[in-house]
Amino acid sequence: MKRYTKERLWDALVSCIAIFLGLIIVFPVIYCILGAFKTPAEFASPVLLPKSFAYLENFRNALHQAPLLRYMVNSFITAFAGSFIRLAMAVCAAFALTHYDFRGKKLCFFFLLGTMMMPGDTLLMANYATVSRLGLLNSYLGMIIVSFVSASQMFLLRQKFLSFPKALRHAAMLDGCGDLRYLLTILLPLCRGTLTTLFVQSFLSLWNAYLWPLMVTASAPDMRTIMVGITKLNSWEDTNYELVLAGVTISLIPSFVLFALMRRNLNKDNTDGSLNG
Amino acid sequence: MKLNAKQQKNLKILGFLAPILIFSILFVYYPFCRNLINSLYAVSDKGELLRFVGLDNFRSVFSRRDFRQFFANTLLLTAINVPVTLFLTILLGRLAMKKRRLSPVYETMFALPMSISMSAAAMIFKSMFSPTLGCVNAWLGLKLGWFESRDTALYTCVILTVWMGIGFDYLLFQSAFRGIPREILEAADLDGTGFFTRLFKIELPLISPTVFYVLCTNAVLALMTSGPMILITQGGPSRSTGTLMYMMYASGFGSSNYSLAAVVSLVAFCLTFGLTLLSFLFERKKVFYQ
Amino acid sequence: MKKLFSLVLVLSLLLSGCGGAAPAETAPVQTAAPETTEAAATEPVLGSAPVNLTFWHSASDEAGVLMDKYIAEFNASNPYGITVKGIYQGQYSDATTLLKTLLSAENYSELPDVMQMDATGKMAYVNSGKAFTTQDALAAYPQPGFLEDYLPTALTNWQFAGTQLGLPFATSTTVTYYNADLLSAAGWDKAPDTFADISALYADLTAAGRTEKVLQTIPNSPTLANWLGQLGSYLVNNRNGADGVATALDCVDSGALETFLTAWKAMYDSGALLNEGSSSDLFISGGVAVMTGSSSNVHSILTKVDGAFEVGVAPYLRVNADAAYGAGVSGSCVVMFDSGDSLRKAAAWEFVKYLTSAEVQADFAAGTGYIPAHKGAMDTAVYQDLIAQYPQYAVAYQQLMDTPETITSVTVGPSKDFYYAVMQGVSDMLEYDQTPAEAAEILEDELTMLLEDYLRSNS
Repeated sequence: MKRYTKERLWDALVSCIAIFLGLIIVFPVIYCILGAFKTPAEFASPVLLPKSFAYLENFRNALHQAPLLRYMVNSFITAFAGSFIRLAMAVCAAFALTHYDFRGKKLCFFFLLGTMMMPGDTLLMANYATVSRLGLLNSYLGMIIVSFVSASQMFLLRQKFLSFPKALRHAAMLDGCGDLRYLLTILLPLCRGTLTTLFVQSFLSLWNAYLWPLMVTASAPDMRTIMVGITKLNSWEDTNYELVLAGVTISLIPSFVLFALMRRNLNKDNTDGSLNG
Repeated sequence: MKLNAKQQKNLKILGFLAPILIFSILFVYYPFCRNLINSLYAVSDKGELLRFVGLDNFRSVFSRRDFRQFFANTLLLTAINVPVTLFLTILLGRLAMKKRRLSPVYETMFALPMSISMSAAAMIFKSMFSPTLGCVNAWLGLKLGWFESRDTALYTCVILTVWMGIGFDYLLFQSAFRGIPREILEAADLDGTGFFTRLFKIELPLISPTVFYVLCTNAVLALMTSGPMILITQGGPSRSTGTLMYMMYASGFGSSNYSLAAVVSLVAFCLTFGLTLLSFLFERKKVFYQ
Repeated sequence: MKKLFSLVLVLSLLLSGCGGAAPAETAPVQTAAPETTEAAATEPVLGSAPVNLTFWHSASDEAGVLMDKYIAEFNASNPYGITVKGIYQGQYSDATTLLKTLLSAENYSELPDVMQMDATGKMAYVNSGKAFTTQDALAAYPQPGFLEDYLPTALTNWQFAGTQLGLPFATSTTVTYYNADLLSAAGWDKAPDTFADISALYADLTAAGRTEKVLQTIPNSPTLANWLGQLGSYLVNNRNGADGVATALDCVDSGALETFLTAWKAMYDSGALLNEGSSSDLFISGGVAVMTGSSSNVHSILTKVDGAFEVGVAPYLRVNADAAYGAGVSGSCVVMFDSGDSLRKAAAWEFVKYLTSAEVQADFAAGTGYIPAHKGAMDTAVYQDLIAQYPQYAVAYQQLMDTPETITSVTVGPSKDFYYAVMQGVSDMLEYDQTPAEAAEILEDELTMLLEDYLRSNS
């Protein structure tokens, strides 16, 4: 009994520390949301809280100046499809690199890892030419085709796959379970947490993409993504924080929803631990 | 046609690897290598290759004062960013390891920075850290020019990049800590192992694959930092925050100097790739896979 | 699955094949341009058939709303059946990146008929091989005295090697903002005019027991060019790169650079100057008495200050009492591209004329604070009302009229490097206490190296 209360006290203390740290970490996000309710004059002072949360002028202007909702639909389509394909390719590659032995395996791994180290700016022009020749300009596929390869995802999944004991695969093989079935029915469900984390991360990064989707949709303004919309809120020579932050706040709503939906899945990696050891 | 077992296996491997290989050649290696050719040529600002100049471009870039400064800045930024991120995210992951009643609240808080784009984050930080109108100086009672002073600007940029990276890495550590088999921890408890011994001797070795991953990817990302510089400091004040990637963006593509861009990107690539190879040597010794 | 991948592989092989063939196909198009004037007799006239135009712009925030309004008005009111499709292409620099990329991929079909661009796009436009300049348009559709309706300084900003590339759309200049309350605390009833005034104002402020500084800024290449221009010198030769590619510095032999640096250092040594990148934050919070900034910011600065003190606007600071008044122009222009279709080109010209007309320019000025580049805008009721309400705007217009020709914006290949090299050079002089002569020498070396580097690949 005594130990139990001590543990509860300890938990409460840790929770408090965690919440405190959490507040510091999340503060810029809160700052952004609060800023969306401020008037330009209020922004010219270090006071954190806006005078009134009923001041919705920024949101109204943001929605008036750029078709943010329409752009959000585009962002959703590209981010969802792009993340899915990206993840699928990474899973396949990681599986091959961890479950087979073949010549050139190391080379192949480092070859893929090398793609992480090539800065996007250097790829822009040549990729535009390629996508243009493929006839994919002004299409959703063109907007995401260059981001299918994610070496970091492949790398993380490799780390994950390596942490499963070899006995698991042998047992499955003895049961007559083929490679593809083993991957889909045994391995992936065990990695649900990692897969969700990767999907969320990938979704958010594609959601926030700006320059490439802008360039590819030069003639199709209806296919623009949310970040283009937010840039359109920026004024030319002076930063108008309040309006842009209102736009960012609107763009955060889907991310919050995604977090809420995925959070339960995030921690689903072999929680019972029965597979280890 | 019947395939023997070996052929079948090879075909399977090909099937798994072909998609990612094709796309990485088509959309990463091919454009990158095309770009690298520029490093050996005099290239006009229209992008035409004028004449072969051998290593002249390398010589002229290496002799530039800003290049040397930016190279040093890049290393310094990485040297701070990587350990700080690692420490913070392990701390957060460990804090959140056990499920508690308030878990959903702080777990969401820790992960939320993920959802902010670099451009939005830059704007938020610039406003928060404004010397006169920002709340940070107001609360801490300071008059610091965070992004404005050459002594602090690089460190403020590190704060921003660390913040951007926290969410994802924290999630990885949390799930790694939670993935540690319960029986191992229970056994440690029964032995009466102290907290720090348990952390360093049992838990961290068990999650070393994740530690290794975070270390590697963070080093790569840190070496390729350019966002805060493009969006806030423009490499200043007095070049104190410029990085290699920023130089490639501003002096290279921004000024249509394609040879310079190619030289700098090649240098950055070699630096990053070399570091990654080194860490994989380390992996063989220290990282523990079950 | 596997079939798909082999398909992709084949496609990629095809691509590399196409790569070689593409330039040959497009070559005849470039030479086709001169024929259009010969064919003038058989050309269809505007209004004979509906025309669709594409217009790329970078107008965001309030300017974006106005731009949409002008496009809609033009589409509804033009008698020729022209329909303009306006597309926002991100910030100016993004639109320039897009333009460069398009050109390097030789994907000319994606080019717009009309594009709004700022200085970052100027050289890409000149080099595009697809430019249909204002000069060309005036040759094809003669209209004597047409250019005389525009402010000369605004026009020269969009010239290269004597060719008028486009017409100014959004025009602004740099002016001095001052905190009238602080000035009167120091016993001043007029704005500081020269660097020496800044030092004197600081002395008076300190004497009155105030602790504020007067000015916070680090000069960059455009502002340096302004100040050198006041002293009758250019930063680089070929009239700051307007007559042709700049090959050397112009301000060293004339001694203007050292004169400027000496005056700048004296201002710093007096204590009046903060050697930090300027932002409006400090001025808005009352921390400095004076700020230099774009004339188009009057409205936003008044909104942010929100009556906390009285904001005055004065002509741009001068280096010394002998210097000329004035500052260069910044902003954006509208240019046209050669679609090869004479009807579309004629329609594009109509649209460009409309966007830069007195009425649109006056309305745009009233909505955003930019200076109307069309002289006729001065007489419109809209602009008169604006000046009556905000007399601050009149200063910028007058300054633009007075600015001498030596003050023209700098066009160099490595523009970004120039920008930051100047900042570093001047800031280091103060930080490390170099003499103006030393600092001038370091700057000369650095800037000359940048120019030579550029010339090595582009001459």
